[in-house]
Amino acid sequence: MSDPGSGRVAQAAFRVLVVDDDPDMAGFLARLLVQQGMQADTAADGHAALEMIAAAPPDLVLLDVQMPGPSGFDICRQLKGREATALLPVVLITALEDQESRVRGIEAGADDFLSKPVRREELLARVKTLRRLHETRKELEGRRLAAEVQAREAIRRAFSRYLSPRLAERVLRESPDGEAIFRNLSERAAVVTLFADLRGFTRLSETVPVSMIVPMLNEYFTVLTAAVHDNEGTVFSMAGDSLLVGFNVPVPQDDAMTRAVTTAQAMIERFAPVAARWKAEHRLATGIGVGIEAGEVVVGNVGAPSFMSYTIIGDAVNVAARLMQQAAANEILIGPSAALSLHAMLGRSTPLERREIALKGKAEPVQVVALRVGTA
Amino acid sequence: MTAEPIVVTVAKDLEDLIPTFMKNRTTEVETLRAALAAGDLEQMRQLGHRMKGVGNSYGFEKVSTLGRQIEDGANAGDRAGLEARIAEYTDYLARVQIVYE
Repeated sequence: MSDPGSGRVAQAAFRVLVVDDDPDMAGFLARLLVQQGMQADTAADGHAALEMIAAAPPDLVLLDVQMPGPSGFDICRQLKGREATALLPVVLITALEDQESRVRGIEAGADDFLSKPVRREELLARVKTLRRLHETRKELEGRRLAAEVQAREAIRRAFSRYLSPRLAERVLRESPDGEAIFRNLSERAAVVTLFADLRGFTRLSETVPVSMIVPMLNEYFTVLTAAVHDNEGTVFSMAGDSLLVGFNVPVPQDDAMTRAVTTAQAMIERFAPVAARWKAEHRLATGIGVGIEAGEVVVGNVGAPSFMSYTIIGDAVNVAARLMQQAAANEILIGPSAALSLHAMLGRSTPLERREIALKGKAEPVQVVALRVGTA
Repeated sequence: MTAEPIVVTVAKDLEDLIPTFMKNRTTEVETLRAALAAGDLEQMRQLGHRMKGVGNSYGFEKVSTLGRQIEDGANAGDRAGLEARIAEYTDYLARVQIVYE
């Protein structure tokens, strides 16, 4: 190397902080380290050393024991007691015959010792060993972090299939291993459920060539799922052409009802251009029917050990399903429990169309609210 | 005392550090002398300890030896011995000649 000085700084050299109140000693140690391609800074006392370490942590500290102010033991103890510097290797410099200092140094957490007068070979051998150890430690820490990030990413990806990406992030934030939120295998929760399906699907499946049905269904589900994820809903199931969505689950959402209605409106509005194209291409009228109901349901992982599905079960789910079946194309039918908070949400001035509907399994007809979404 | 030179071999790569090192040694002798006059044995002990560490690190074995003797002398309160060591240190610094290798 023709210019070793500048070359060393450029490649982020191994940085050593030499702490010694004797400038001759500090200068001597620094010189030997720099000759080995390391970067060496010096501090004349413990206070200066702690400040320098806090500002820019070195890779190794060479620390004299006897100094005015805090001793080498004090500084070592402080460094080892702080999380940020606990792994920073510290070499204590003691007088050769001073066995007592060595014992105190071990107690203070020193990683190694160097005797004064300092023998060049000994210094370099000890620094070399600690440097290797430090680099191995750094590498292991790097690998551990990478593995952690990878595991987190895997959990996030898995969640994203069921939850909106934003909701998946929130779940991970609140429950870093992604476990706690799903640990309660079944729990009761107040949930707003939304069922949506495709009006005209039966006819579509009869007239359109089979090879086209799956791409068309995919296009339809893509539109609906995007509307769900934008409003942070959770898709619980897709079956045939119907989609079951929950709000206020698995994490609480104070505005669950608003999210459900906004989702339903977005589904209908965003599907309109697709429906218009299908009509032009296949001469088929399609639209979306939605049922919404709120209530306590059981949320949990249901199934066999080899196949589980995260799902919701309860009367509100059944009512939402039946309402969906009765909804006309581009109509949202809202069940009696969900309708209670509608006025607060939409404002008293919004005219609501109330309707009595007989539902399968219910002795009495239920009062529902119908919302029509304009798709023109 | 004769003025016969005492040759000390110092590593070439330390050459530029030596003028400061030697200047600090001269100051050290003066400080030792003042400390002894003031009866400040604790300061003498500390200076001796420092000499012991730094001397041989640079290759000045005698500085380390004198440092150990001064540290011990201060601990023992041996004023006469300390005075003799200071004289010896002064003489050594006057005679030392450095060769770089």
